[in-house]
Amino acid sequence: MNGVGPTLAFYALAGVTLIAGGGVMASRNLLHAVLFLILSFVGIAGFFALLSAEFIAMAQVIIYVGAISVLVLFAVLLTPRAGRNNGETKMLAPAVLLAISLAAVFIFVITDTDWPTVATSPSLTASDLGEALLTTWVLPFELASVLLTAALVGAIMLVRTVEEEAEDALA
Amino acid sequence: MSAIKSEPFVINIGPQHPSTHGVFRIKATVDGERVIDAEMVMGYLHRSMEKLAEERTYTQNIPFTDRTDYLSSMSNNLGYCLAVEQLAGIETPSRGDAIRVIMAELQRLASHCMAVGAFTNDTGAWQTPVMWTFREREKILDLFEMTSGARLTCNYMRIGGVAFDLPKEFEPACRKLLAQLNPFIDEMEGLLSGNEIFLARTRGVGVLTPEMATNASLVGPMLRGSGIAWDIRKAEPYCGYEQYDFAIPIGYQGDSFDRFIVRLEEMRQSVHIVEQALDGLPGGPHSTQVPLALRPPKGEAYARVEGPRGELGYYLVSDEGPTPYRFHIRPPSFINLSALKQMTVGGTVADAIVVLGSIDIVVGEVDR
Amino acid sequence: MALTVLATNNWYDLRDLSNLSRVILEGVDRFAPHGIVYVLAPLIGFAASFLIFVLPSQLFVGVYGERKLIGRIQSRYGPNRVGPFGLLQPIADAIKLMQKEALTPWAADVAVMWIAPIVFVAPCVLLFAVIPFGPRMVFADIPTALLYFLAVSSLPVLAAFMAGWSANNKYSLFGAMRVVSMAVSYEVPLVLGLLGVVLFTGTLGLQDLIFWQKDNHIWLIAVQPVAFVLYFIGVSAELNRTPTDIAEAESEIVAGYLTEYSGMKWGLFYGMDIGYALAAAAFGSTVFLGGWSMFGLDRWVPPWMIIVGKTHLFYFTFLWTRATLPRLRIDQLMTFAWKFMLPVALANLFIVATERIIWTENGLSDNIVYLYAVVNIVLAVALLVGWSRFLGYRPERTPSKARLVYEVGGYVPVPVAPAKGEGRP
Repeated sequence: MNGVGPTLAFYALAGVTLIAGGGVMASRNLLHAVLFLILSFVGIAGFFALLSAEFIAMAQVIIYVGAISVLVLFAVLLTPRAGRNNGETKMLAPAVLLAISLAAVFIFVITDTDWPTVATSPSLTASDLGEALLTTWVLPFELASVLLTAALVGAIMLVRTVEEEAEDALA
Repeated sequence: MSAIKSEPFVINIGPQHPSTHGVFRIKATVDGERVIDAEMVMGYLHRSMEKLAEERTYTQNIPFTDRTDYLSSMSNNLGYCLAVEQLAGIETPSRGDAIRVIMAELQRLASHCMAVGAFTNDTGAWQTPVMWTFREREKILDLFEMTSGARLTCNYMRIGGVAFDLPKEFEPACRKLLAQLNPFIDEMEGLLSGNEIFLARTRGVGVLTPEMATNASLVGPMLRGSGIAWDIRKAEPYCGYEQYDFAIPIGYQGDSFDRFIVRLEEMRQSVHIVEQALDGLPGGPHSTQVPLALRPPKGEAYARVEGPRGELGYYLVSDEGPTPYRFHIRPPSFINLSALKQMTVGGTVADAIVVLGSIDIVVGEVDR
Repeated sequence: MALTVLATNNWYDLRDLSNLSRVILEGVDRFAPHGIVYVLAPLIGFAASFLIFVLPSQLFVGVYGERKLIGRIQSRYGPNRVGPFGLLQPIADAIKLMQKEALTPWAADVAVMWIAPIVFVAPCVLLFAVIPFGPRMVFADIPTALLYFLAVSSLPVLAAFMAGWSANNKYSLFGAMRVVSMAVSYEVPLVLGLLGVVLFTGTLGLQDLIFWQKDNHIWLIAVQPVAFVLYFIGVSAELNRTPTDIAEAESEIVAGYLTEYSGMKWGLFYGMDIGYALAAAAFGSTVFLGGWSMFGLDRWVPPWMIIVGKTHLFYFTFLWTRATLPRLRIDQLMTFAWKFMLPVALANLFIVATERIIWTENGLSDNIVYLYAVVNIVLAVALLVGWSRFLGYRPERTPSKARLVYEVGGYVPVPVAPAKGEGRP
């Protein structure tokens, strides 16, 4: 990333993403937290775009902002008393401990890794990505889809009512 | 595995809502989109007409009847006048009867235009059908204006006949209109009866079985939509309806769509009746002379007519005074509305609106 | 790809407006400090695509044309008071909206309620960045433009949800729930349908799609009819246009998520609804109707005029459905998306993949596209009709006329029980 423009864009995106991430934690209203989360997703998509990985940036927006956040909104809608003040919780101390340990691991990994640097950004087109996914990485790719299918079936099982199960047993 | 718990949610449909057709309110308890309880709240338009009528003479009460069901003032006038005539034993000339039939059937056409249009609007067709039906209704109202001088509250029927004879230009204008109406009804039918979305929205929605319909003593297109052949014009003919040839349209399974096609077919039959009445329009006086201060003998009378919304009854008690001792209306929309809860509970909010539209209420008549 | 346009590089050649902007930028670069052109170029692009095309289209095709045309369909006049033929009506409306008080309910979530219109407007402006208006007239010719369009067009759903939730009104909440569930349902068949196009042409770029259609002398609507049908229905649902406008269903939930909005806050939603419809129309005419190309006519007529004309014609179909069709119920819409559109989209994808394999593996000539067009049109009709009949759609069995009887009496039993119309919703 050279030049004034990309640098400025990087800092702006970093600011937005970090503030949004902070907002997720700090906001007491569940819906506000979700909206901040969506903003941070958008910021991360911006980072991908800045790294010339436009396919991943688009996918990030479609999947995270368009689909996953909508599902989270559904979850909020189905939560009883979603608008309540979420200030009080007994899990504060474990959460802080977990966060600190996670941060320690991340900092260790980030500082310890020998990051490869390239002079020019590699051009990663959609077809390159598709080819990589369906040749080199085909097993993890297929495993992920199996996992998602399993999750889907599990979700359907969870929301079935007793009556529906009885009906199915009779049929 | 336990089901996801959901909380019921009370939502007010009305009194100010785009599709309650007046100030009427449904207090619906919904679970998601499904209506699990519905409570009718009415009385926002109560004007105490039945009590006020006891203070006015028999003739002075005719304008009141205009304002109960303001979409079918002619039929209301007619029902009231029939009740007074029955009470006082007044005969009407045959020309007066024929004019009454013409006006009542034109009124039915105008009212059904409104009903069909508003119902289609409730299914979500954005204004187009209602505009088209209003266009035709305007032409009918023009005829009313030509004869009675008023478009909405006509105040045209009198005790013993009608207020004025038909003007010269009425017959050609009426025949021209009738020639336009049949193609229009065909057009509406072609547009809506075959429309897949319209069918999906109305078929199987708000089903009334024949038993439910009779138990709730429903009348008019509601009853006929459930497949019951009942029409006051055939069962207890008045104004010489026995001389006209017409059919009673009935539905299949009593859903909203059946009520819609019954109304469309009734419009065709009405056109046919008006044509016959115009062809055989007798001469002679249009009204009998009735003393202005009418004092009917002691007694009571109940007269009923087949209004656009069904059986419209007027009950009068006389104590030989110049004003009725008791004045009571049997309003068809009010009775029809009593089946609303049965039809809406279990459906979605959108269905509730469609069902309400298919009942075709006029709140002025419900609350009086 | 050879630029087969006749346009010259002279700035006064109206057939390619990019010359004009190039001349302006070169002129500015000569006097202004280096770097100003980078700021100026987006501004010119924005002004050209948004202020010259979108805003006037919104006002005069969207607001005025919509009202006038629907008025005509409804046998009334439509606006005819302000200005000649009522042409200034949209401007008068905008002034009126700006004067009106933008009420905020006492119990509303004020911040979210005020941000929602902004979130709604911004993606609409971004959408037009990738629409090509001519061979060289595209603001951002990115190789994944199709994906970009889908990504950005999924954002307004959030704004609608924010609007509905924040107003603290039950009708609004209903509208918000409906918007969100519709978006989730219709995004899937919409994307799967467009995937057919992508698979067949092997590109994600909108400009490349136009060149593909231009080089093969065929529009993708002929090659991918199922995808077009899915796109039209899906996009109608996403845009809340009738017959799928359940989120704003006037006769049911007053105005859905917009119930508590007033003044210019409401005006932004209303205006940008038209903006999204125009964007969807522009995108649809780019992907399926050849974009700015017109079988050689684009050599003589300015290409940007062709795409604008196509967009407005496409928009007209939205108007037409709005003026003529009733609205579906939410469960029927969901059933339609998941039980009808999704299987059809998957079947279409399967067909396209097979065709593509046959085409590339055997090294067949490009002329096979015409054969595929014929095959696909036949298959599309068979698929749509067959699947709807499989789901129980039997129009001939549903009676559409009342029975007639001549005698009063009790219940008249139905002679043959009519098929219980489960049918296509």
